[in-house]
Amino acid sequence: MFNEMYQSESLIRNHYNNINEWLEKMTAKVINEKNAEAETHFRNIGITFSTNSETARERIIPFDLIPRIFTFSEWSKLEKGVIQRAKALNAFLADIYNQGEIIKANIIPKELIFKKKSYEVSMFGFTPPRSIYSPIVGIDLVRTNYNEYFVLEDNCRTPSGVSYMLENREIMMRMFPDLFHTNRVTPIDDYPTRLLQTLMSLAPIKCNTSEPVCVLLTPGPLNSAYYEHSFLSDQMGIEMVESTDLFVEGEFLYMKTVDGPKKVDVVYRRIDDDFLDPLCFSPNSVIGIPGIMDVYRTGGVNICSAPGAGIADDKAIYIYVPEMIKFYLGEQPILENVQTWSCDKDDDLNYVLDNLSDLVVKEVDGSGGYGMLIGPKSSKSSIEEFRRKLSANPRGYIAQPLLDLSFSPTLIKNQVEGRRVDLRPFCLMGENAQLSSGGLTRVAMNEGSFVVNSSQGGGVKDTWVLAE
Amino acid sequence: MLSRTAEYLYWISRYMERAETNARLLDVGYRMSLFPNPNGYNNEWESVLAAAGAIQGYKNKYNIIEQKKVEDYLFFDEDNPSSVFNCILNARSNALVVRTSFTPESWLAINKTYQEILKLKNNNFNASDLPNLTEWTIEQVNLFRGSLSSLLRNDGYNFLYLGLFVERADNSARLLDVKYFVLLPKPQYIGGNIDNMQWSILLRSLSSFRAFRWAYDGDVTSTKIADFLVLNSDCPRSLSFCIQNIVKHLTNLTCSPEKVNKIYNTLKDLNIKIQEEKIESIVDFGLHEFVTQFINKISSVDSDIQKEFFN
Repeated sequence: MFNEMYQSESLIRNHYNNINEWLEKMTAKVINEKNAEAETHFRNIGITFSTNSETARERIIPFDLIPRIFTFSEWSKLEKGVIQRAKALNAFLADIYNQGEIIKANIIPKELIFKKKSYEVSMFGFTPPRSIYSPIVGIDLVRTNYNEYFVLEDNCRTPSGVSYMLENREIMMRMFPDLFHTNRVTPIDDYPTRLLQTLMSLAPIKCNTSEPVCVLLTPGPLNSAYYEHSFLSDQMGIEMVESTDLFVEGEFLYMKTVDGPKKVDVVYRRIDDDFLDPLCFSPNSVIGIPGIMDVYRTGGVNICSAPGAGIADDKAIYIYVPEMIKFYLGEQPILENVQTWSCDKDDDLNYVLDNLSDLVVKEVDGSGGYGMLIGPKSSKSSIEEFRRKLSANPRGYIAQPLLDLSFSPTLIKNQVEGRRVDLRPFCLMGENAQLSSGGLTRVAMNEGSFVVNSSQGGGVKDTWVLAE
Repeated sequence: MLSRTAEYLYWISRYMERAETNARLLDVGYRMSLFPNPNGYNNEWESVLAAAGAIQGYKNKYNIIEQKKVEDYLFFDEDNPSSVFNCILNARSNALVVRTSFTPESWLAINKTYQEILKLKNNNFNASDLPNLTEWTIEQVNLFRGSLSSLLRNDGYNFLYLGLFVERADNSARLLDVKYFVLLPKPQYIGGNIDNMQWSILLRSLSSFRAFRWAYDGDVTSTKIADFLVLNSDCPRSLSFCIQNIVKHLTNLTCSPEKVNKIYNTLKDLNIKIQEEKIESIVDFGLHEFVTQFINKISSVDSDIQKEFFN
């Protein structure tokens, strides 16, 4: 078990000394006040999740006051590893939508790619600006030891959570300004600017201005990440549009404004492929912008992330990312993958079935921490139930060992207790590849829990990267 | 500015204004219910429902008209599309969409109102709480309006104020109409003591009673009150004031001058007429008829704005 703050029971890691002193000075009264202040702040700015509950309507994610801290050298390794991975994933996408070298080299079986729903046939033979398919890559990491990190999954479509990264910092600076005098915390508030620069650097061929018009395309207020959409578009100073605000005329995409049509060059879309273009993807869909794919393919607009980018973060493709890094970049992977058994292989399936009580089994297409089995934490009957599901549809599952996620000090009922955490840093891929010096630390607030998802009792923390 | 953004801004201030009107209407009913009722004259809650345009919806839900039910229907009921609760809910969900188009303070004002009304809704309220609810609503709406003062004077600002004055013009006109047509269907009451008392209550609920006293000398008469609420352009709730402001914010728009002109042309006559008209000739013509024409005009301006700018 690795603890982020304690080297041993009595020894605090150097970079947590300041925080420890600060914690020791905080009374229960102050903790309560600050917790209430944070909650009020989050409610007021509206950083909430929609729920079906009649009384609450909207829920906020629990925020823990104790930051999670990385030293400069710890972060440097992560930074290199994440950027390496984001480059490889983009190279993979460029490859499979063009020559398919990795398939010819027999590294990834072609059925695995071409049979996937997330493989977008209409993208074949088309290369987006700068060959960037996924301009924002979120990599979910866990730490198991001082120098040991594993990638749990990649997010190449529209990773969310960056607004929490920024708002968590904002509230910490507001509530505890002194902490930022005594600790040299690398700022992250330039993320929206960098995101906008990234999007602008990905203008399509036919865009002939040095200041391309970017918009953020949202599915609307019912989407759980809606706050993030409005927050980011506000911070970038770009319009947040819904698909009904956009239309295609001739070779270009326009938005409807009170002054009449205005041309759009780059669409940062936060909607799924299926809802982009009813003419191309889902003919029965009433949402979407008819004709946008034609404009896209003829260089009239760029769509970020590219349609079909989701194949790269498929759980079945995940297994091959270390191979991709070697194949495309000629480098050794800096971050490790979790050992993964894909249940569509007979050998793997048998192993998984024999060891269910030791493994974590996930649905290939699942997310949010739902539909998974944590063997060591499950009752006999739920293991047996899962055994039946797995045998009926082995292709739909992968299995991994249960990782011993690191503990981070967390305030539980005003006491400092260890709770498990993960990390999602955000990598931008445009003219430059860059990683924001921070990320979203999610924490499993329930004692003994391994599940950090907000839908299942997860909370969040501010994530610090100390300057050199 | 996105057409949808303009539309949402327009509707946010319409909803906020409507929330205030409904709260004020409830106050009218509440005050009236405290006065002794002469025979055959106990329809204050019905007229309140009529003024709120909610009588059909209410009757679909309840068989009898009684204070507690009317209060609940107009304030909290989610089945009533214009209840204060729904107005705030709608204003807030619109604000969620366009929060980037006004100040953070405006968003906070609306969002806090929303958080509080959720709590109010979950508490049981007594009939005697009504003045507090009314006061609270007016306070919240004022908070929102105050926050608008720091906005850039751009088209977004003008759309917000267009919404406000279109809604207010409609609401004020309906209030007047209800007072004259529903409240006092029997001619013998007109000009009597009850009549004047009811007018005063109307003024109070529009927070214009003292203003009226300052603006007019002598007795409170129905003609003076009608003049005040229809023609007096110093009175911020009068039809005249509303129409002047609609014209002002419409012609201040910088987008699409030809659309602005088109709508302005349909309004020009009414605007001039209301500045020059005498209250006596309106009363001779029939206040009800005048107000009906006015309401129709506002409604066609509203649909022109929606058609020209939002579609």
